[in-house]
Amino acid sequence: MAVEERLVGELPWIEKYRPKTLDEMVDQEEVVRALKNILQTRQVPHMLFAGPPGTGKTASAHAFARELYGPNYLTEGLFVEINASDERGIQTIREKVKMYARSVPFGPIGFRILLLDESDQLTDDAQHAFRRTMEQFSATCRFILVANYSNRIIEPIQSRCAVLRFRPLPRDKVIEHLGKIAKNEGLNISSAALEAIYDFSEGDMRKSINILQAAVSISRDVDEKTVYQVIGYVSRGEVRRLLELGLSGKISEARDLLRELLYLQGVAPSDLLTAIYREIGQLDISEEDKVEILDALGEADFRIAEGGTPEIQILALVSKLAKKMRKTR
Amino acid sequence: MIPWTEKYRPKRVSEVVGNKEAIESFLAWAKQWSAGKPSKKAALLYGPAGVGKTSLVLAYANENGLDVVEVNASDFRTAEKVEQIVGLASQQATITGLRKRIILVDEVDGLAGKEDVGGVSALSKVITNTRVPIVLVANNPWDQRLAGLREKAQLIEFKRIHKATIVSHLKKICTAEGLKCSDEVLKEIADRSNGDLRSAINDLQAIAATGAVSRETLNALGYRLRDREIFSALAAAFNAKSIRDGRLALEGLNMDLQSFYQWVFDNAPEQIPDIDALAEALERLARADMHLQRTARLQRWGLMKYVTPLITTGMAAARHKAPTKFAKFSFPSKIRFMSNTRNEREMRERIAAKIAARCHLSTSKAWREILPFISFIFSHNGAKARGIAKFFDFDKSEVSYLASGLKSSKK
Repeated sequence: MAVEERLVGELPWIEKYRPKTLDEMVDQEEVVRALKNILQTRQVPHMLFAGPPGTGKTASAHAFARELYGPNYLTEGLFVEINASDERGIQTIREKVKMYARSVPFGPIGFRILLLDESDQLTDDAQHAFRRTMEQFSATCRFILVANYSNRIIEPIQSRCAVLRFRPLPRDKVIEHLGKIAKNEGLNISSAALEAIYDFSEGDMRKSINILQAAVSISRDVDEKTVYQVIGYVSRGEVRRLLELGLSGKISEARDLLRELLYLQGVAPSDLLTAIYREIGQLDISEEDKVEILDALGEADFRIAEGGTPEIQILALVSKLAKKMRKTR
Repeated sequence: MIPWTEKYRPKRVSEVVGNKEAIESFLAWAKQWSAGKPSKKAALLYGPAGVGKTSLVLAYANENGLDVVEVNASDFRTAEKVEQIVGLASQQATITGLRKRIILVDEVDGLAGKEDVGGVSALSKVITNTRVPIVLVANNPWDQRLAGLREKAQLIEFKRIHKATIVSHLKKICTAEGLKCSDEVLKEIADRSNGDLRSAINDLQAIAATGAVSRETLNALGYRLRDREIFSALAAAFNAKSIRDGRLALEGLNMDLQSFYQWVFDNAPEQIPDIDALAEALERLARADMHLQRTARLQRWGLMKYVTPLITTGMAAARHKAPTKFAKFSFPSKIRFMSNTRNEREMRERIAAKIAARCHLSTSKAWREILPFISFIFSHNGAKARGIAKFFDFDKSEVSYLASGLKSSKK
């Protein structure tokens, strides 16, 4: 990677500082211990890596494969990564699996590893189909499924996998790691800036490192202000603005903003609902009204999961908020 | 520019699309004529517009070397006029003896509405005496005043063309024109044509002329053509007082329910200024959205019937709980938004796909989680941006978009 950096000048730090070995992993001691045990016995089960974003799930899978197969694990086709949310349906995923898993690979280890990232994006039906694929190819292939929520993976798959749980990275571990990067890059970073990064990223290392690298593009002396400048840019407080527009009865403007968030910025509807959920506590309405709004929020969440159109369901929700607000005034 | 409806008009009977039964009865009738003993001297081809009635006659004439004398019944001001035009043609053929001919009288149902009823009986008389085949064409032949003509003519019914047949015909035209057009768009055109092949071909040509054959241009165009129709349907929907009113609002509207939904949804905030009423109306629209999506997802078309009452009568009932004020209806802002942001969305998707390829992420995650940070760096530090651009293999347009700071979203 260092060679590549000399060639191109600047790399995305999330790639530059991606852990290469299990020992380089930040936190997640239990997961690392389990993976090292597996490496020793060479008895590799199917695995499910579950945990919040930016906690090292995909990185540890790569590190594991590198230690199992050696540095050429990717070029030799021993480890293949498929992203469930990029593929058009289970059929193409199965085709890919077939293509890779058909033959026994050369070398001492008689199977390949296939990583299915964002596997909780698959519908239940697709997961059932995938389960059959897992069984069909388990002689020549081990699967690592990566998911944010293990409860979105169907029981029959979970029971065939060793489930490894990744926890949100604790504050001190994130700050310590950012400190190391800063030192390596020769930066000055204030402790207030580090705290601000953590407050925003909430244990997501990918987000933390992205904030740091973006802040450095303004100045090599990173303080709170530069961090807030980045945060203000990437998240312009749009959810609060959406609610404000709704609360003041400007529904068509709220609709325009909602469209920009969903279709242009690519915000996931579930993230939007989570953000609204967080804001509700701070609204100036009675506790009883808050309960009713939370109920409506739950209903919108359910409807979207059922295939409802996010824009329509969320706008209906925002207008309900506006109604409550008017009653309060 | 030649209209494609002319350019691709069938030259032979076998090229006429659909209505196989009608074509066979027509050929049987024409065969009687060429054998010299027609049981009926005229044929009355009837059915909806754009299903091939005239095309069949023209193709038949072309294939059999007949001259076509084409007259429009609306030109018949008086009984004498009928004599003059049709009567003459129906006799002349045998006199000159050169080429045989066939007479095509279009829009016969137009005669019934005219005050000079003499036209119908004059035409009837011409048929009795004719020495050449006469083909009458009408959309609706059942008017009482046409009874006399019906008796003298072989009735041949034409039906609407099946959607699948329209789609495959449009495909052939696309191939002939070297036009790329997705099945989805062709299906949509066929859907809207309601079995009228001519209007489907016209729509296809209009869309091809805009240069971009996409669902969005299709929508924009379709809606523009039908604006007036849709505005009166919207007015009826927003004022529906009974379930029946709601159903009538959509009657005859040449638009699928999903599209009409978008019109209602996007017009609701302007039409319903009272926030309580709006919240209630939007909730009903949100319920209707569930019925619509379930219909599509489960392929259970029976669920569709629950949509209309909610988006017309139910929505309107909420509206009427508060004073309303007059507001103009407008084109759905969603469609405008999607077509205005189309280039930008495509740009973001390209960039996100390149990031995804190198950062072990899906395109959608890269889009929302990484792209904003990359853009921040690009708009603040050109030197650092160069390295990152090389790493991700961004091209010039992508670099300058990122460096512009995601402008349109900052407004």
